[in-house]
Amino acid sequence: MNKSIAYTVGVIALLIGLYGFFDRLVYGEAHAAYGSFVVWGLWVAAYFFLGGIAVGCFLWGSLDLLFGLETFKGMGKTALWAALVTLVAGLMAIGFDLGHMERIWKAYIQVNFHSGVAEDVWAYTLFGIFTLIALYQSCSGSKPAKVILILGLIVALFVAGAPGKLMGVNAGRMYWHAGLLPVQFLIFALTTGAAMLMVIFGLFGASDKAARSFPVLTKATAGLLFVNLYMLWAYYSEGLTGNMPSVAEPIRMVMQEHAVLFWLVQVAVGLLIPLVVLSQSRTAANPALVGVMGLCVLLGNLVSRYFILVPAQQIDLLEGLSSAFHGRGYTLAYTPSMTEWAVFLGLIGIVILGLLIGADYLHPLCQCKSQKEA
Amino acid sequence: MVNSAFAAETQQAPAQAAPVSAPKQAPAPQDVLVRMHKELQAALKRSQAERRWVMVIDLRRCIGCHACTVACISENKLPPGVVYRPVTIKEVGVYPKVSMEFLPRPCMQCDEPPCTEVCPVHATYKNSDGIVVVDYDQCIGCRACIAACPYGARTFDFGHNYLEGTPKGMEFLLSQEKANAYENKVNIEYGKRRERNGHASPVGNVRKCHFCLHRLEAGILPACTTTCIGRATYFGDANDKGSLVHELIARADVVQLKKELGTRPRVYYIY
Repeated sequence: MNKSIAYTVGVIALLIGLYGFFDRLVYGEAHAAYGSFVVWGLWVAAYFFLGGIAVGCFLWGSLDLLFGLETFKGMGKTALWAALVTLVAGLMAIGFDLGHMERIWKAYIQVNFHSGVAEDVWAYTLFGIFTLIALYQSCSGSKPAKVILILGLIVALFVAGAPGKLMGVNAGRMYWHAGLLPVQFLIFALTTGAAMLMVIFGLFGASDKAARSFPVLTKATAGLLFVNLYMLWAYYSEGLTGNMPSVAEPIRMVMQEHAVLFWLVQVAVGLLIPLVVLSQSRTAANPALVGVMGLCVLLGNLVSRYFILVPAQQIDLLEGLSSAFHGRGYTLAYTPSMTEWAVFLGLIGIVILGLLIGADYLHPLCQCKSQKEA
Repeated sequence: MVNSAFAAETQQAPAQAAPVSAPKQAPAPQDVLVRMHKELQAALKRSQAERRWVMVIDLRRCIGCHACTVACISENKLPPGVVYRPVTIKEVGVYPKVSMEFLPRPCMQCDEPPCTEVCPVHATYKNSDGIVVVDYDQCIGCRACIAACPYGARTFDFGHNYLEGTPKGMEFLLSQEKANAYENKVNIEYGKRRERNGHASPVGNVRKCHFCLHRLEAGILPACTTTCIGRATYFGDANDKGSLVHELIARADVVQLKKELGTRPRVYYIY
C-alpha cells in the first residue's frame, strides 16, 4: 500500500520534473530566480541535501559491510543502493546549476586543486565509483572488498564536510565563515542517512534481518537530532549575542521573515517531534511511525541547508550595494522559481522511483520486502 | 587631493604665447584626463610586468550621477543583473543638515584576490598586468568566485536581455528586434569579439570589471574614468613615479575597502 502511494508520488514528481529539466536544458538558467547577489539557491541546497544523504547512507552501510556489526547486519546493500540513487540526483542538481555544464570535464583535466569546488568534483566522483564497486560486489554474492569500503569511508568522511568547507572558506561572508560548518554538515549527513534508511525500512517494509537494526538506528537518530539542535542553538545564540550584522542579520532573517518555515518545519517538525518520538522505545518500535519521522527529519534538514546557504547571500557586502542600481535581478530577494521547483521535484521523483525499483525489481539488491511480499 | 592634481596639471601645462597687446591671462588648466592619457601611453611602452594599474576615486568629487555605471554598461554590453560599477548612495546627517555620500565600486583588482583560488578550472586569475580577468571559454559557471568576493564585485550572466517580455511589434515600426540592436552588439571584452547568442559565452559566465582591459590595450582610459563628469576617477600606472595615481595613493587620507581582509585592493578612495 505504502509502495503504491510512493510510486504514484514518484511518477507525478518525475513528470513535473521533466518539464523542469526541459526548461533548464532549453533556456539555461534564465528562468531561475537567481539575481546579482543570490546566485546559489534551491538547486545548490538540493545538492548539499541529496549528497549528504548519499554519504550518510554509505557511512551507516559501512557498519554492516565494513565493520560487520551484528546489529546492522542485512542493511548494507540497501544503504549502498540508497547512497547511489541520492548521489545521482544530487549530482544532477549541481549539474543543472552550472552555467556551462558541458564544460564539467575541465574540472577533471584542467583542475585547480586549491578550489573547494574542484575538491568536491573529484571527491564525489571517487565516492560514486567506490559506492558502485561495493554495491556490485555485494550483489554478485561476494563481500565487498575491504579496501574499497575503507577508501569509500575516507572519501565519504571528506565529502560529508565538503559543503561546509565550500561555504566556510569565504571570509567575506561571516555567516558562513565558521570553523564548525564542515562538522555540522557531517552531522547533517549522518542524520539524513539514518533518516533515509528509516523511511525505506519503515514505510517500504524491512526484511526481518534488516529490521534488527531498527532500535539502534532510531536511538542513534534521536541522539544525532539532539546534536543538531545543540549546534543550531550554539550557532544562532552566538551569532545573535555577538550581534555583528553580517552574522546576526541572516539569523534574524531566518527566525523572523521565515518564521513559519524555521520554527514550524525546521525546528518543530524536523527536530523536536522526531526527537521525542524516536527517543521513546514504544513509539520507536512502530515502523510506519518511524518512517514518517524519517520523512520529517529529511524535510527539516532540507530547510536547514537552505537556511545556511541562502541568507548569507541576502546581506549587503557593502552598505547600500543592493540599492545602488535598479533593474532586473539586481536584488537581494530570492524565492525559487517554478522551474527550480520543477527540477527539484523531478530529482525527488528520481530518488523515490530509484529506491522503489531497487526494492522491487533489483531484488535482492535491496533488502526491503518486494512489492509482492509487502 | 584633486585640487592639487589640477594645480600640478596647470604647472605642467606649457605656457601659451599671448599676443603683445592682449592682457595677460593665466594659462587654461589642462584637463586631468589629458595627463592620465599621456601617462597611459607612456605606461604601455613598458612591459606588462613593470606596470601596476591602479584606480583612485575621490569621493569628495563624486556627485552620484551614475554616468560611470552607465558608461560601463554601454562599453561592455552588460545585460540585466550584470553591473560592474554600481555607485552606492548613503544619506548622512539629520535634516536640515544632511549630505549624501557616494561610493563607486569597481572590481578592486586585489593583489591577494580571494576569488581566483576558489575557481575549480583556473578560469579566473590575475593577468600579467595584475588585473583579475575571467576566461569566458574556460568558466564552467559554478559561481564560487561570486561567493568568495568580499566586495560583491562579481555578477553572473544568466542570459537575460532588457526587452524580455515586451511586445515584438511590427517590423516596419519600432519592433523589438530593432529596439534590441544594443543587446545584439558584439561584445569585445578581453579583446575577443563575441555575439550574444543563445547559451554561448559570456552567457552562463561570471562577469566582472576588468578596468576596460580592451581599451587599455588600445591606449584608451577605462570608460568610467573618461565619463566621470566630476573628474573623480583617476587611473594609471602606480609604478610610474611621475604619474598622478602614484602621487595620489601616497596621500595620508587614502583608504582601501575592507583592507583588514588582507586582499590588498588596487582601488583607492580619497575621503
